[in-house]
Amino acid sequence: MSIEALNISKSFGDFCALDDVSLAVKSGELVALLGPSGSGKTTLLRIIAGLEQPDRGSGPIRFHEEDVALRRVGDREVGFVFQHYALFRHMTVFENVAFGLRVRPKNSRPSKATINHRVRQLLELVQLDTMATRYPHQLSGGQRQRVALARALAIEPKVLLLDEPFGALDAKVRQELRRWLRRLHDEIHVTSVFVTHDQEEALELADRVVVMNEGRIEQIGPPDEVFHNPKTEFVMNFLGQVNFFGGRVEGGKVHFSTVAYDVPAHAQMQDQPVKVFVRPHEFDVSTHADGHAALRATVSRIHSAGPNARLQLIAESGESLSVELPQERFRELNIHPGGQVYLTPRDVKVFVADYVI
Amino acid sequence: MSDAIAKKTPKAASSHGNLAIAESGWVRYLLIGTTLAFLAFFLLVPLAAVFAQAFDKGLGVYFSSIVESNSLAAIRLTLFVAAIVVPLNTLFGVAAAWAISKFEFWGKSLLITLIDLPYSVSPVISGLVFVMLFGRQGWLGPTLDEYDIRLIFTVSGVVLATLFVTFPFVARELIPLMQSQGSEEEEAARVLGAGGWKIFWRVTLPNIKWGLLYGVILCNARAMGEFGAVSVVSGHIRGQTITMPLQVQIYYDEYNATAAFALASLLAGLAIVTLILKTLLEWKVADHKTAEAQAYIGD
Repeated sequence: MSIEALNISKSFGDFCALDDVSLAVKSGELVALLGPSGSGKTTLLRIIAGLEQPDRGSGPIRFHEEDVALRRVGDREVGFVFQHYALFRHMTVFENVAFGLRVRPKNSRPSKATINHRVRQLLELVQLDTMATRYPHQLSGGQRQRVALARALAIEPKVLLLDEPFGALDAKVRQELRRWLRRLHDEIHVTSVFVTHDQEEALELADRVVVMNEGRIEQIGPPDEVFHNPKTEFVMNFLGQVNFFGGRVEGGKVHFSTVAYDVPAHAQMQDQPVKVFVRPHEFDVSTHADGHAALRATVSRIHSAGPNARLQLIAESGESLSVELPQERFRELNIHPGGQVYLTPRDVKVFVADYVI
Repeated sequence: MSDAIAKKTPKAASSHGNLAIAESGWVRYLLIGTTLAFLAFFLLVPLAAVFAQAFDKGLGVYFSSIVESNSLAAIRLTLFVAAIVVPLNTLFGVAAAWAISKFEFWGKSLLITLIDLPYSVSPVISGLVFVMLFGRQGWLGPTLDEYDIRLIFTVSGVVLATLFVTFPFVARELIPLMQSQGSEEEEAARVLGAGGWKIFWRVTLPNIKWGLLYGVILCNARAMGEFGAVSVVSGHIRGQTITMPLQVQIYYDEYNATAAFALASLLAGLAIVTLILKTLLEWKVADHKTAEAQAYIGD
């Protein structure tokens, strides 16, 4: 079941939450809406669900080519997992999951036995079959999350929408659930959209990532693409750490700090001021100047606990930098705070500075 | 996946463990002693006096004063008024609390203030306002007269005045409760395909039932005990517009202390039952809140 939402705008009073946003999700895909708070990602999700109405003049919302914009929430057949789960607190786990089937009108309501069977199946799917008689407040966060998911799946939704599904969980549970959700999605293949502000989560879980900022979509693409080929400065900045330099492009090379780097894509630019970004792990670090131009920097702090060693440095030209390098390389170099190192960027991203003030 | 169950004891951080706010022994005993003495003198002694006076001339006189026709008429009227007022104000209270806690609309804060109005106005004044509005010489009096409707000095007037005085009780109890619960569960039910009625009966009502019952009990106690507003609009027509509190007054004015106290003991009994129910419900509501807090905090 594909989802299409075209030219969607939404304002709350003076605040523009969504500004002419269009999104298409293919059948069976798992898509992440990624952005900082206030970027409009949750609003877009709620509009797809029908929990919010888009502004007048917005385009259609189609589920599998069929316009559902005028359909009420309950008739859109979406499964929605709320950020704080919104489980019915006075109902057992079993009753929570059964709710969507029990409230159907008489003529389409499954028999009691069918409902029982279906709920049992779902509870097995989310590995909570032993918890059927518990109440939500007797469950851990991760368990509640899975009940919410089972409840959403009970109505056999055409699309599954999840609002910050792991937002309220601690780091470890979050990671486990994330993998589990991916496996589950590969098993049941329901078209899914989830909202997150955690780039790692989006990159690990989704087939495609939609990066949003200030009510607009900045970039849509597979995780690899948005991470390695960010189209805008915002995406570059939001997906992981960056080092920023002011620079100029001249004759197919970008000059910044004390180095120059080939940028064939910008070959036609003449003396153009640009913003230059380098990710912390995309520097080669050495302790000697070995001929070619390198950034000279002084090490100010070292964090070596973790899979990579992270260095805080001050460049000769004054910028403060952060660099990541593998532990073996770090030990080999024998770096100490106060020492001098030479940095050679392996990859740089160049964005033309805009002059809008 | 951690399958540990969140079953923390809510009262783990107890009140008497904090040394920083602990007072020295004699201050504590003085404060507790004063409070208890005050309670005994102003509440328990009068309550005991009511029952003592009521049974002063023996059980036989007590019962005969209650089954006396004026008393019975007053009891009947009081029950009748409560039977109309309490359901209506329950309905109104739920509707108002629902509107206030689930929707944003213009004039909302004004509505909240208006709900509190009967709390802040002396009941006698509310009664007078009704007389001024609906009485023969009142603003709407002539119009009502044309349609042959009489409110003042009738049972309808008594119902109306009681309705006004007791309308904040349910709403006031529910508004903070429903506000703290938010509307996520209702949204979830809506997504799952439930219509308005089903959402109300299956999701909203079960979540507010203890708070609602609490409000209803307080509303009922006040509806049965209201004196001021009812006294003004009732016109004191014997056997017709006299409620229990008014009848107590009448007996008292007639120097029939035993009958006055016998009837009063029924009202006092109602108060005691109300207090007990209220306490039980408070425990229930508190339990509910703890469970909710746990559900929110997680583990």
